Amino acid sequence: MDKKTLKHIAELSRIELTDKELEEFTPQMETILDSAKKLQEVDTSNVSPMKRHISFDDLREDIAQDSLSQGDVLKNANYKENGYIKVYGKIFGSIEES
Amino acid sequence: MENSKYDIIIGLEIHVQSKTLSKMFCSCATNYFEKEPNTHVCPTCLGLPGALPVPNKRAIELCILLGLATQCDIDNEIHFDRKHYFYPDLPKGYQISQYKRPICSDGYIDIKDEDGKKYTIGIERIHQEEDVAKSTHHTESSTGQKYSLIDYNKSGVPLIEIVSKPNIRSAYQAKEYANRIRQIVRYLRISDADMEKGQMRCEPNISIQEKGKWEYKDNGIAPIGDYKLNTKVEVKNIGSISAVEKSIKYEIERIINTIEKGENIIQQTRGWNADKGITEFQRSKETADDYRYMPDPDIPIIEIAQKDIERISKEIVELPNEKIERYQKEYDLSDYDCTVLTADREISNYFEDIVSLLTEGKDIQKAAKLASNWVTGAVFSIANDKKIDINEKNFPKEDLIELIKRFEDGTLTRNKAEELLRRSIDKGNPLPKLIKNAINEAQKSATNLGDIVNQVIKENEKAVSDYKSGKQTTIGYLIGQVMQKTKGTADPNEAKSVLIEKLNG
Ligand SMILES: [Zn+2]
Repeated sequence: MDKKTLKHIAELSRIELTDKELEEFTPQMETILDSAKKLQEVDTSNVSPMKRHISFDDLREDIAQDSLSQGDVLKNANYKENGYIKVYGKIFGSIEES
Repeated sequence: MENSKYDIIIGLEIHVQSKTLSKMFCSCATNYFEKEPNTHVCPTCLGLPGALPVPNKRAIELCILLGLATQCDIDNEIHFDRKHYFYPDLPKGYQISQYKRPICSDGYIDIKDEDGKKYTIGIERIHQEEDVAKSTHHTESSTGQKYSLIDYNKSGVPLIEIVSKPNIRSAYQAKEYANRIRQIVRYLRISDADMEKGQMRCEPNISIQEKGKWEYKDNGIAPIGDYKLNTKVEVKNIGSISAVEKSIKYEIERIINTIEKGENIIQQTRGWNADKGITEFQRSKETADDYRYMPDPDIPIIEIAQKDIERISKEIVELPNEKIERYQKEYDLSDYDCTVLTADREISNYFEDIVSLLTEGKDIQKAAKLASNWVTGAVFSIANDKKIDINEKNFPKEDLIELIKRFEDGTLTRNKAEELLRRSIDKGNPLPKLIKNAINEAQKSATNLGDIVNQVIKENEKAVSDYKSGKQTTIGYLIGQVMQKTKGTADPNEAKSVLIEKLNG
């Protein structure tokens, strides 16, 4: 983990980090990665992936049901306007929509 | 678009919204069009913590159906992945999509190229994902601050992505390909694919390479020798099939001009401006997209059995290409007639019903020609003028058959018959009643005309004897008398024939 990688990851999450913060967080991130590396040392070659299989018939039938009320949907929004959730531009940061 | 120096290489990504009742991973209704914002939303499609996505069976069937119709291989397992990016239209911070194992892969469709020859366009993959929310961007007048308004009704609507192989070689081919895809999804009732409503979106990527310096390799292109490939340009914001062709044509010219000026093409996304007829720079892509795909741990692996595929295959109907071939063989219709009659599944079914109703006691090719004349003629023109669909409700088949028969046996002229058909739509008058009235009227005016002619003959003894003694030109004078008595309403030709009949009889 170097400063450049950390900066890239932060940008993907629209987080702006100062140089000082990058200095401070880079070694911290490295410790986290080291812990993950320890997990990867475990031999799992004989362990099958823990992912459930279902058959086609187990899928949800296409039936529409009631949704939440608009009031409930907007209840936790900090900003709203005419039934819409309002988001101020800062969240976009310097990276544009994909 | 032939160019001696450069090759044009185009890939097309098409998204279509599936026509299901509920969303991809929750039970919210999909009919959000023109509904109040944020009323078709639940914890799942709002991305609230703890909500679990549950895949929609019908949506997956429709995705497989499209794969089968386009000769794709269908995977025996369905794996969903998370595609991460951070944007307010994506409440979870990731979109559920498919990465390494798309449900359908390696298919193709045939189009008719500009020179009329068949051209096959490869399909790299077709996969299932979910739509994002709708956001509109604004500026606050008091503070000048930028903000977006988000409506999550569209969030989670099933979305099928179709990725072509980069073997589309002209703007025309791209348009035909998009058109064909739209036709197939409509025929199979996978999607309404209305581009204006955003139910179908086309995003071409275009690159221009020097002839002989590149080759196809692993579903992409690779340079030959030390040639450096020009990067590709993506075009978004295309709102119609014709804009697919126009925007690509514009972009090809723009890129070639840039290369000719000795400038580098930068990897970028451009937006089509339909009003100005140009593409505009949107953003550059300096680094490759970094979506940090990972298997979605919330969704189990779905096994597809042979019986599932068999069940879904039953929904495949005869598609336009096959229909055209059959129409040519069975009906001996022109290329043009075949193309317009098969463009829409409802219309082609309607047409085929008319043919079989007309075929009774008639040669099938004659019946088909007659049906084609009426459907592509009067029916198309009326439906177009009145902006109505061609179906049993608007143009009852038995009634149309009655009309065609009356035209065939000479009871009604073509003009009269078409006029009646149009009037039946305008006033909501049943066609059989109009036909009956028209026949009665014609008979009535025929008797009237007979009476008037008798009267004219009685009142013009001299002219009559002149005519009978061989002075044929007197007939003109007698016709004039009939016209005068009917105040010009009689048909002069008819008046003439009735006169001659009575004078000779
Ligand atoms: Zn929902």
